[in-house]
Amino acid sequence: MICAAPNKWSTDSYVRENQVFEQGNPRTQQSAPRSTLARERARLARAMLADCRFCAHDCGVNRLAGEQGLCHAGATARFFSAQVEVSDELELIPTFAVALSGCDLRCDFCITGASSWNPRAGAGFDVGAMAAKARAAWQNGARTIMVLGGEPTIHLPAALEFVSLLPESAKLVWKTNAHGSAQARELLDGLFDVWLADYKFGNDDCAARLAKVSGYNHVVHENLIWAADHSELIVRHLLMPGHVECCWAPVAEWLAGNLPGVKVNLRPGFWPTWHAARHAELRQPVLKPESERAIALARALNLNLIP
Amino acid sequence: MNKRPIKNSIRPPSENLWSEFLILPDGRILAHNLTRPGAELLHKLSPNDGQIALRMKHHASTNHELPD
Repeated sequence: MICAAPNKWSTDSYVRENQVFEQGNPRTQQSAPRSTLARERARLARAMLADCRFCAHDCGVNRLAGEQGLCHAGATARFFSAQVEVSDELELIPTFAVALSGCDLRCDFCITGASSWNPRAGAGFDVGAMAAKARAAWQNGARTIMVLGGEPTIHLPAALEFVSLLPESAKLVWKTNAHGSAQARELLDGLFDVWLADYKFGNDDCAARLAKVSGYNHVVHENLIWAADHSELIVRHLLMPGHVECCWAPVAEWLAGNLPGVKVNLRPGFWPTWHAARHAELRQPVLKPESERAIALARALNLNLIP
Repeated sequence: MNKRPIKNSIRPPSENLWSEFLILPDGRILAHNLTRPGAELLHKLSPNDGQIALRMKHHASTNHELPD
């Protein structure tokens, strides 16, 4: 069902007036071209900045008037990286990856913390110029075009404008922390071929301690279930030292029970950086016995691990 | 809401490609934002590494030389 936005920019009324959303509509069944949908939704998303509820923090600040929520993002987007990369899932690479500055989470171990925590990092996001680069990369053989952050959800207007300028046949990847709101999901519905979603913490205590977020698991569950139903979904889990039993095990069990067969990329390459040293257990990489234990758990639960 | 500015260095995106590598004491090399040239480097260092080999073989592009 279409979820009504709890504010003056109701997605429900927008649907009725503009007919740009179609319920549970996968990309292949869309009646309007993706570029058209994205352009319309970008316009709506920009207006929604006046009462920003794109992520589950639900701040309700007026970003158009300079107010800042927990992510500190303003009305315009910046980016800190845009290049073709090969470090993502094999089925997605090479990917032209555009990383937007700023995030709604505060993960102390963030590998791009300086840029991800700061929406003013990097350079201004010129949508037209970036789309031209993305098109060139795609024409030169990039298999996918990936929008990431930080967290791209907080920059939905710019992200959607970017999508509106991309080729209809390009395979698009939405790389997210899965902490977006129902309102954000409605805006994204049917635009991205793949949701590449992080599921970082298997319990809310670790989420609160390491990323300063409350009610984490409930929000992530909502997003993952929605994404699996509306697009192709790949779930990532960054294995953290000392968090196999408290984080990976419950994540793995939830995935096995609720999204059987979903593609899972278990990433053992934890890199102790940014503010990781604030937490004793995060001052080191993941050791081999922990990786082996994590993989054994995944196999016992018959998870669909992908490289 | 907190309106204090975040005091971090603001670095513009590089015009050049960038990857980061972390070499661990046990010999493992972790890579972040791995680009094709970075993968080529790792492949030369460790031609039998299956992970890197997989990331090398899918490429039809030379898109590290993208037009501006």
